[in-house]
Amino acid sequence: MPKIEIDGKPVEVPAGTNLVEAAKLLNIEIPTYCYHPGLTVVGSCRMCQVEMEQNGRTSVVLGCNTPAADGMKVITTSEKVHTLRASALEFLLQNHPLDCPICDDAGECDLQNYYMRYGLHDSRVNLLDKIHKHKVHDVGPTVVLDSERCVLCSRCVRFCREVAGVDELGIFGHGMQSELMNPPGKRLENDYSGNVVDLCPVGALTDKDFRFKRRVWYMERTPSVCTGCSRGCNINIDWEIERRYKDPQRRIQRLKPRYNRMVNEWWMCDRGRYGYHAVDAPDRLTAPHTRSETNGQGALTVDLVLQRAAAKIKAAVSKNGPKSVAVIASPHSSNEDLFLLKSLFVDTLKVDTIDINVSKEETGKQDEILMKADLTPNRRGAEEFGFHSGKNGGMSGDDILSGALDGDYDVLIVVHHDLSRLMGPKELAKLDQRCDYILYLGTHENGTVPVADDVIPLAMSAEREASYTNFEGRVQKTAKPFEPRGQARDEWSIWQDLAQLLGIPWKYASAADVFDAMGNSVPSFKGLTWEGLGNSGKMLAGVPEPAYRKVQSSKPLPAY
Amino acid sequence: MSATPNVSGGVRFLSRNFGLPGQTGIESAMKRGAYEMLKRAVAMKPEDVTALVKASGLRGHGGAGFSAGMKWSFVPKDKFPRYVCVNADESEPGTCKDRLILEYDPHLLLEGALICAFAVQAERIYIYIRGEYFYPWRVMEQAIAEARAKGLIGQNILGTGWSCDVQLATGAGQYICGEETGLIESLEGKKGWPRLKPPFYPAAIGLWGKPTIVNNVETLSFVPRIFEIGAEAFAGMGSPKNGGTGLFSLSGCVKNPGVYELPMGTPLQTLLYDLGGGICGNRKLKALIPGGSSSHILKAEECENLKLDFESVAAAGSMLGSAAVMAIDESVSIPRLTLWMARFYAHESCGQCTPCREGTGWILRLVTRILEGRGRKRDVDDLFQIADNIDGKTICALGQAVAWPTKSYVTKFRHEFDALVKE
Ligand code: SF4
Ligand code: SF4
Ligand code: SF4
Ligand code: FES
Repeated sequence: MPKIEIDGKPVEVPAGTNLVEAAKLLNIEIPTYCYHPGLTVVGSCRMCQVEMEQNGRTSVVLGCNTPAADGMKVITTSEKVHTLRASALEFLLQNHPLDCPICDDAGECDLQNYYMRYGLHDSRVNLLDKIHKHKVHDVGPTVVLDSERCVLCSRCVRFCREVAGVDELGIFGHGMQSELMNPPGKRLENDYSGNVVDLCPVGALTDKDFRFKRRVWYMERTPSVCTGCSRGCNINIDWEIERRYKDPQRRIQRLKPRYNRMVNEWWMCDRGRYGYHAVDAPDRLTAPHTRSETNGQGALTVDLVLQRAAAKIKAAVSKNGPKSVAVIASPHSSNEDLFLLKSLFVDTLKVDTIDINVSKEETGKQDEILMKADLTPNRRGAEEFGFHSGKNGGMSGDDILSGALDGDYDVLIVVHHDLSRLMGPKELAKLDQRCDYILYLGTHENGTVPVADDVIPLAMSAEREASYTNFEGRVQKTAKPFEPRGQARDEWSIWQDLAQLLGIPWKYASAADVFDAMGNSVPSFKGLTWEGLGNSGKMLAGVPEPAYRKVQSSKPLPAY
Repeated sequence: MSATPNVSGGVRFLSRNFGLPGQTGIESAMKRGAYEMLKRAVAMKPEDVTALVKASGLRGHGGAGFSAGMKWSFVPKDKFPRYVCVNADESEPGTCKDRLILEYDPHLLLEGALICAFAVQAERIYIYIRGEYFYPWRVMEQAIAEARAKGLIGQNILGTGWSCDVQLATGAGQYICGEETGLIESLEGKKGWPRLKPPFYPAAIGLWGKPTIVNNVETLSFVPRIFEIGAEAFAGMGSPKNGGTGLFSLSGCVKNPGVYELPMGTPLQTLLYDLGGGICGNRKLKALIPGGSSSHILKAEECENLKLDFESVAAAGSMLGSAAVMAIDESVSIPRLTLWMARFYAHESCGQCTPCREGTGWILRLVTRILEGRGRKRDVDDLFQIADNIDGKTICALGQAVAWPTKSYVTKFRHEFDALVKE
């Protein structure tokens, strides 16, 4: 482990660490454009130049291309370093259009930031001398390029080649005419295209989904986890609810990947990135529905629905035993939801006709980068609670459904699954007839809603605190940026209220409460606490941390 | 291309066969001794070959003037395969001497390259020819085919058990592909973007990450001659630390421009006046560019006693570079010269690193503005400062190649710029 000194402060870093990373450990910023820790080093922007003294000699080196070596003394605050940075900035700004007032990146732009920190020079350039390039260039379905803003750092090019393994962007021409473009016949359309926008240190690449929607300084940021598939990429939710004049429904403005070395590093896929629209989609279920009378008790509330459900369950169990109640739960539910569901139905009511799995589950594209075919975030968690598709002697979701069609149950509870995807309209009508009471808990209008006797709207993962166990056994939590839409509720709180109505005195105040109780009673969650999950999650008890894996295509293309 | 090359008047050591009938064909070349030195070299131990070249004081004639033998000895011991790249991407303005070797004595180059390949035990030689050099390409293509037919290229060369192939390659005509790592990138089929240093030496990590010796055409062509007369005699031909002769491309305001072969360390006056015939129109020499367009300009008085070798030119404040000597007489405007130079470098910057990409264009626009009469006084200072901001801050030497001339033009001929700008 080399020991070095940066601005007089000693630091010891693993061999091979470059000066930029070493400085980060001391909270010292070495500004960079082309360098990104997840990509190969090209050293082209020249922003990271620092002075370095070694063996009695001082020289100017690139922070990004200089590995720390014992005894190095690095200086980042000298007049000389300041001049070098200012000069690199001056070059980059020479032809820059400075359209910050209309640029999405303003507020999080490294040209702006570094200019304020290291530049602050007056322009020596005659405005009319600036060269012009393509202004609104459509490089692919998700991203727009403004060539004039591009500082030609080649981060986006390297991302496509090295991480996504595709040749969809390149720098063409030479000298001052150099320009980022799609190679002939190509478009930026890989499954990870949105990452180039995050990588772009300036506003050259902007996200069509976010373009002109919000100034970044109005947004709040909440750390969360993507629930788009069983990988569980760490994300930040950028949201804004005060200024919704453009799109009154839209609370989430964008999702950004959040670094987690063991899960997704700096990246996320487009499926996850743009999947958030479902949260504020017009077909969200925001209020309970019912097919029966409300008995003149005023507006329908979730509590009313729960009272009816409790009565139905009580009646069914006392008349025909626990076998007359069946539950099709969901791997979309969180650990807390499934824990309380299991505690109530399996442990207390002794219902064993309960499972999460149905064979006609929707699956997605899978690759070796991030995307998993399993589009649910918590199948592994559900399995830890014993939902195993009949493997442990119980019944699978398919068995339950066919039983329901045979009229085996008085009460059928369905969470998230859309029955109309699992059976045709005729069967659905039959199910409606054969079941005395169908309770549906879901997030969106779908084909199940019309056949359910009662419907309870559920909060989505972006609206709640919840924990999910990814396919490898990593338990990660989401934070809650804002309240769920309308009367939508946290699923675990539904089970708690139902339990209370059935005479079980649960008093969990939060997901954290439920989680900590789980840590005490479920073996694979032993020792885990809500606090302890931190920002990057924890492995299930007894599941070893998997080996570090660089997130990248199995067929990366060389840097250039 | 004229039938006889203009190398008259100087010495005829390297160039002795230039223009002789049939010399590009292998039969006549061999009659005059081609490949005899290869035979001598392959009978030696490879490391002795390198030692001999080192002892000869042979310097790189491509521009940097680095000791050739030293470069060869940088090849790491256990890393294979190894390659030799012949840099025939001659593009430095003013330089036109490698072309003569390619066109008039291709077998001399091939022999030198093969000796080098043997010394470093390379399995393949790439000859990277500048995109615009169509005719030299054809001559080389022919020469390679002939040498291959004679068993001088290919498997088990001269019964030594050592095999080496030769392949011709060409760029699309970009100056930057003459930079050795730009050349390597281009050879690998990529954009000719010079590589980031460190690693500094392709000898350790070069083509496809393997040890690679990149040498200029002229440098390699000297190797058979060293074997012929011995390292000591070769070293004795030049000046201290500068072995042998050199091909000097003389251009600019001289009566007899051309390529002249002279012993290293020959006085400039000999080249300029005895061979070059003096300045056009018998005007006075105003300034001199001694080593291609990227070298510092020298005022006439700074080069009165100049000797043409690497150390002497460096001591005078410039560099011998590719030995392209350009004479500039009183009638030439230095700001116009700056424009010409800036135009070239702005066009040829590969665009990879910020200071060069943006700086070359900026310099060009500033000079243009000054020459169009729109210049402000501060533009002259800016010109110098922008060049200074490029100098030494770039990935490859193209940054210096534009910064050095610009800075020296502005410093030494400031009054000419000032005369063009308004207060
Ligand atoms: S990229 Fe956008 S925000 Fe940044 S300096 Fe340019 S115009 Fe302004
Ligand atoms: S578009 Fe952005 S990321 Fe890509 S090269 Fe330009 S500045 Fe860099
Ligand atoms: S100095 Fe110029 S030519 Fe060399 S790498 Fe940088 S941009 Fe390219
Ligand atoms: S960050 Fe080091 S040169 Fe760009």
